Amino acid sequence: MSLMQELKGLGVDTDEGLQRMGGNSSLYERMLVKLKDMIKDSSARLDFDCNDHADIIEAAHAIKGASGNLMVTPVYEGYSEFVKLMRGQQTEEAKKVFEKMLPVQNAIIECIEKYS
Amino acid sequence: MEEKRTILIADDAEVNREILRLIFEEQFEILEAEDGEQTVRMLEDNHEEIVMLFLDLMMPGKTGLEVMEYMHKKGYINTIPVIMITGEATAETDVKAYEYGASDIIYKPFNPKVVMRRAINIMELFENRIDIETKLKERTEALVVAQKKLEKNNEFLVNALSSVVEFRSLESGEHIKRVKRFTRILMNYMMKYHPEYGLVKEQVDLIVNASALHDIGKITIPDSILLKPAKLTVSEFEEMKKHTTNGCEILEKFKQDESDFYRYCYDICRYHHERYDGNGYPDGLVGEEIPIWAQVVSIVDVYDALISKRVYKMAYAVDEAVRMIHDGECGVFSPKVMECFDLAKEDLFQTTEVASFVENNTDAF
Repeated sequence: MSLMQELKGLGVDTDEGLQRMGGNSSLYERMLVKLKDMIKDSSARLDFDCNDHADIIEAAHAIKGASGNLMVTPVYEGYSEFVKLMRGQQTEEAKKVFEKMLPVQNAIIECIEKYS
Repeated sequence: MEEKRTILIADDAEVNREILRLIFEEQFEILEAEDGEQTVRMLEDNHEEIVMLFLDLMMPGKTGLEVMEYMHKKGYINTIPVIMITGEATAETDVKAYEYGASDIIYKPFNPKVVMRRAINIMELFENRIDIETKLKERTEALVVAQKKLEKNNEFLVNALSSVVEFRSLESGEHIKRVKRFTRILMNYMMKYHPEYGLVKEQVDLIVNASALHDIGKITIPDSILLKPAKLTVSEFEEMKKHTTNGCEILEKFKQDESDFYRYCYDICRYHHERYDGNGYPDGLVGEEIPIWAQVVSIVDVYDALISKRVYKMAYAVDEAVRMIHDGECGVFSPKVMECFDLAKEDLFQTTEVASFVENNTDAF
């Protein structure tokens, strides 16, 4: 199994993501590592107990954009829904979406870490 | 070697900046900013080289819209196209971005090929616009220079033509110069104190130039009348009066339709002996029937005639000339023109002094 195959198994559209990097797989992998770092660095900002809504939305919004550009679809879709609910003041529903998405996000992070 | 042009990518997510860098780094120098404050600093330092700004809407420090506000203040928005990058497509954000001057909006996630094509199209459009504006500015400047040259040439020809008449009257040519100077002084007062006439500087310039031709018709008057040192007989005076209409006949041969300058020349030539009460010639116009430029040249011509030596009379002192005009000894002028004449008295007097000094000193040589 390779990183690409494993990520594909987790729902990442690696073909399209790779194409967006001009077919340069090492660059794509480097970008995935950066996304992984970004998600991990933002985890504290996504803590509902410590941060206000605006800060949480800002952090989630940034992950949403970056994961979308790299075609890490499950993360992109999860954060898209999360941001939408947060903006609509539906905090409890947003939390549920976030918790539902967390296992796949963690699996993707672990997978990237395993190969980097 | 041609210098690479610069693209500034402003986005707080490194991944997004990297993707944009990847798209453009072969053809462009890339600058990156990770927040709004850094974007502003980079614009400040590199605005002359930057040909495109990718601007994330949501950034720490300053938002994308705040960066665009700064670009408006600095005028950079006119020379640097901005592509706004946003994660959410809402009509409100889109409208705002365009109102702030964005050239385009790209939604995340974006397709690199589409971004590349749209960015290049926008850069080409902007470059073409700036190129057209530069060329237009250059051509406008060249036109202004050419027009000024043409105006100078015209003025020279008008002065030369009017001097012919004066030399024939055995005068020095200074009368025309003084009439022009006095006309400008009085017209400036009219423009300032009587806005109801709607006079503007460009118009006054033409009127001043046209005033030089007020006596062009005297070229048609026989020497026996024009140079007569004594008082003219009634029939001789009737003949002399024809210089107004004869002048117009000369001008009509060179008629320029729709030309303001021609209109001023014609009106001044024909009506500069009309009087406000209708007792002037050749048409006996009354009051404001007489164009204001003809009214102004009329009083100026009288004033200069009084303070100058002529074949048939000595020069009057300035105060005496002013008194004679006030007392209506030279005909009736409009109250508005008289009011401005009084206001301009000091300026006219000083100009007379300078003109006399120049004339006397020129005569000495």
